[in-house]
Amino acid sequence: MQALPAKSQTQPFSFLEKIWRNYTLRTVIQSIFTVWAVITFIFFLVRLMPGNPIEIYVNYLINSENLTYEQAYNRAASQFQFDPSASWLEQYFGYIGQLLRGNLGESITSTGTKVIDQIMRFLPWTVFCVGLALLLSFVLGMLFGMIAAYYRNSWIDNLISIIAAILGAVPDYIWGLMIIIICGVQLKWFNVGDLRGTFDPSLQPGFTFAFIFSVIQHALLPILTYVMGTVGFWILAMRGSTTSTLGEDYVNIARARGLSQGRIITAYVGRNASLPLFTLLAINIGFVIGGSIIVEELFVYKGLGSFLFWSITQRDYTTMQGILLMITIAVVFSNMLADLLYSRLDPRVRISGDS
Amino acid sequence: MEEPILEFKKISRSFKKGRTVIPVLQDIDLQVQPLEYLCLVGESGCGKTTSGKILTGLLRPSSGQLFFEGRDVSTLKGADYTHYRRSVQIIHQDPYASLNPTHTIYNSMSFPLFRHKLVKTREQARARVAELLEVVGLTPVRDVIDKYPHQLSGGQRQRVSIARALTTQPKVIVADESVSMVDVSIRISILNMLMAMRETLGVTFVFITHDLALAKYFAWKGRIAVMYLGRIVEIGPTPEITLSPEHPYTKSLLSAIPEPDPDKTRTKEQIRLRSEDIPRLTELPAGCSFHPRCPWFVPGLCDKSVPSLEPFAASELRLACTPLSQGKGLNLFETRNLA
Amino acid sequence: MEDNLVLSVQDVSIIYQVARGNVKATNNVSFDLYKGEALALIGESGSGKTTVSLSFIKMLPSAAKVTTGKALYTREGKTVNIFELNEERMRAFRWQDCAMVFQGAQNAFNPVLKIKEQFFDTAKAHGWRKRKEVYDRALELLKLVRLDPERVLESYPHELSGGMKQRTLLALGVLLDPQVVILDEPTTALDILTQRAIIDVLKEMQGRLGFSIIFISHDLALAAEMASQVATMYAGEMVELGTVDEIFYESLHPYTLGLLQSVPRLERGQDELTSIKGNPPDLIDPPSGCKFHPRCDFAEAKCAEKKPEFATYEKEHKVACWFPEKVIEARQGLWEKAS
Ligand SMILES: Nc1ncnc2c1ncn2[C@@H]1O[C@H](COP(=O)(O)OP(=O)(O)OP(=O)(O)O)[C@@H](O)[C@H]1O
Ligand SMILES: Nc1ncnc2c1ncn2[C@@H]1O[C@H](COP(=O)(O)OP(=O)(O)OP(=O)(O)O)[C@@H](O)[C@H]1O
Ligand SMILES: [Mg+2]
Ligand SMILES: [Mg+2]
Repeated sequence: MQALPAKSQTQPFSFLEKIWRNYTLRTVIQSIFTVWAVITFIFFLVRLMPGNPIEIYVNYLINSENLTYEQAYNRAASQFQFDPSASWLEQYFGYIGQLLRGNLGESITSTGTKVIDQIMRFLPWTVFCVGLALLLSFVLGMLFGMIAAYYRNSWIDNLISIIAAILGAVPDYIWGLMIIIICGVQLKWFNVGDLRGTFDPSLQPGFTFAFIFSVIQHALLPILTYVMGTVGFWILAMRGSTTSTLGEDYVNIARARGLSQGRIITAYVGRNASLPLFTLLAINIGFVIGGSIIVEELFVYKGLGSFLFWSITQRDYTTMQGILLMITIAVVFSNMLADLLYSRLDPRVRISGDS
Repeated sequence: MEEPILEFKKISRSFKKGRTVIPVLQDIDLQVQPLEYLCLVGESGCGKTTSGKILTGLLRPSSGQLFFEGRDVSTLKGADYTHYRRSVQIIHQDPYASLNPTHTIYNSMSFPLFRHKLVKTREQARARVAELLEVVGLTPVRDVIDKYPHQLSGGQRQRVSIARALTTQPKVIVADESVSMVDVSIRISILNMLMAMRETLGVTFVFITHDLALAKYFAWKGRIAVMYLGRIVEIGPTPEITLSPEHPYTKSLLSAIPEPDPDKTRTKEQIRLRSEDIPRLTELPAGCSFHPRCPWFVPGLCDKSVPSLEPFAASELRLACTPLSQGKGLNLFETRNLA
Repeated sequence: MEDNLVLSVQDVSIIYQVARGNVKATNNVSFDLYKGEALALIGESGSGKTTVSLSFIKMLPSAAKVTTGKALYTREGKTVNIFELNEERMRAFRWQDCAMVFQGAQNAFNPVLKIKEQFFDTAKAHGWRKRKEVYDRALELLKLVRLDPERVLESYPHELSGGMKQRTLLALGVLLDPQVVILDEPTTALDILTQRAIIDVLKEMQGRLGFSIIFISHDLALAAEMASQVATMYAGEMVELGTVDEIFYESLHPYTLGLLQSVPRLERGQDELTSIKGNPPDLIDPPSGCKFHPRCDFAEAKCAEKKPEFATYEKEHKVACWFPEKVIEARQGLWEKAS
């Protein structure tokens, strides 16, 4: 076997083309562009919603404190750092300018609080709750999906597939409602009111058993809800992927080679069947940050989702933009992560990525 | 000599894959004479199907011209172009993929009849389809005409694809590996049928295959063009190509093919290549692309310039080999590290 | 001779249970395989070649059932019936005693593991845990199949070409020194020159290591080159069995003769080929008597009524036909052993 003289067939290329050919660099540039496009879109979208923060507050004042419109408007305008008369374009360039300096701005309605601080207050709860749920759902899905594929067309497979299809077909908030109504209200297994918030407010945050227990207790129902809402998808995805892997020649040959069932299931079937799922998982990580507005509202779980909902009702433009920006970045970067991860796991991609 | 019905003039074709350009065909010159038997043979990926697609107008060449009945196809317009497309048909490599599984045989076959306005009514269409199925030996027709492709055997399906290619009354049919997927026992009957169609219907066949023995049977009275990595390396009358080829690649190919005769195959002279790896199209070696494998490699000659297809000595062969066309003959290249 | 018997297949029948009924894929197949022999199973698509050989390593799909027969395997004086091995014994038997390379196994290696890991996996599954030893043996075997051993072991499967993969698989196949290697169409998807390399390598390996081969193919030329014994299969039955010379020069069954008459031969002038008329039978509802009679040129009334025994004609040459004399007469002057 002798090496053949390599002769490139491509024409000489310019400097710009060279940059474009660099895979990593290209991905980064594409990602940054995506983020910019999305935040611009969001910026105008939030302002297209009916009403602005001042009007919402004015209405609130008129209704609750019986002020005249004039009085209410003056008070609102003096409290908020927001000038409704500034043109959108002015606002936009101001916002982008701030962003480039790494500043998300201050909340419009809660004067003096930085958006970034607010986000950091709510984000960990969502990451904890949804992240754990995603992981759980993923692991369970892989397990049951693989079992179903192994016993394809038997009663086990039918049972798992039917349950997965039902779980997948019903949205998570319906599961949440059903849990509250059936387990909480009718069976009275727990008191829904006790489980509001992210932990028992009478406890001091810290590494105490009582506090950690309370955190888990409060997160349990939302996690259960998320898992029920998503596990069906993972089961079916894994089942499909495993089924096609089981038909591959190398699995048959592995059997013919006399490998043990355990080794075949893990290194030959499992590893190959889960490849596409890991990419999906990475993409889903992006959505973890956003949480789920409805489920968090339902369980009064103080995460980023319910915070986003609140800022929308208040038309708190800067806060909304801040949260949505976080979500965008998370989605875009988890996509990049997915690519990267895939090329780590699959040697076939690894090579072509290098060249 | 008659005017060729189809002619390739310096045709090249490349595909772009991302940033790399894959040169699939390079500088092909080829004439298809009316009613001749012409075979394109070569190993997988050498560009046979691509040539066939260019002949039938399914692909455009990247450079060079295709002539149909003496006229440049790229200049044909309207009725002339339709005439060309109707006159040159292809039977695709894969009989499974080329028939729509949700259409009955009648549906699949009547569609081109209506589209080319060759029939007006359903009765006419049915009669014509039945007639064509009879031509390809699918009798009794009523057993086949309303079936779906999966209800037919591989051989029957292949006959249907042939019948479908006949719907537009073509002058040339490009048969791409038309019998590779059917069984040995029925292969010959399909080939014999194709050969008979040439007589009765006046169709010229361009037969594409990787099986030299089949090519020899089909085109005994015609010509074989041997392709390697996107070029024709040798072309000539079938008996000469199969019994006394000159080009090193054709020689190697022939010596590598086992014979269905135990004594002959055991005593056949073997040519050992210098390397068993086929170069990639994107990393073609300089000069003659066969030189890294060629047992008769001449350093400093074969790896310098690309040989062009030239008439060889007194034979009717045309071949592309620098040492041969310079009259140097072939001398085995000493392989030093054979161990 | 008796003590060299490795595999004795006796009266094996296998059916597939499908919605429409039972597909009788293998009927009463019997043959003996001796040490160092290469037995070729030839026959058209669907004749049950793959089915019967899958049964020897108990890897038939779940729809299949072995209804009669035994497969007696002998190693070092001990004989077992393969069909009676339990799951754990069977696991050990696979690859260590009988390695099978499947049809079209271009995808035979796990894409996410390096080749060397797949060698280690195989060794470990059979209780051979010394990585160094396995590695050295792998190096040796890969050299035998003419590959660059270090490079191949460190590669992932996709970094190897089709031919290299096939050769690597052959090396892996003999890693545990099996007595029987089953090769199902080992060269079908490969190029002519690559196919030649595989044939040569296989012959060399067999000469050195002395295993027996069961070789499945519908390419008669390959069988002529590779095999010492040839068995013709038709519609799930073995219809003729003999040495390679007997089958090719003294064939006794009309189907074998039909196959031989339908393959083109490269080394000769113009071929006179005939095809076998008709189509392969439906295995759910096969013809009565001799299953070949509807397609046979020599058939008489008796053939449709009564099934001929698969019996010895002379020496080791067996045939299932009522009128082998007619075949002998028909093949006179067609071709002879050149000696
Ligand atoms: N659309 C396409 N895009 C990129 N590459 C292509 C395309 N079509 C064909 N090729 C490449 O061109 C080369 C020649 O292909 P072609 O199908 O003509 O070969 P062939 O001689 O017909 O081979 P085979 O015997 O396998 O059918 C191959 O390397 C193939 O990968
Ligand atoms: N899983 C299956 N279920 C039902 N029938 C099957 C199955 N596998 C094979 N058969 C049938 O059994 C018969 C024998 O098939 P087999 O694969 O053994 O043939 P073969 O001689 O290996 O053919 P080929 O040359 O095409 O590989 C065929 O008629 C086929 O349709
Ligand atoms: Mg092709
Ligand atoms: Mg088979």
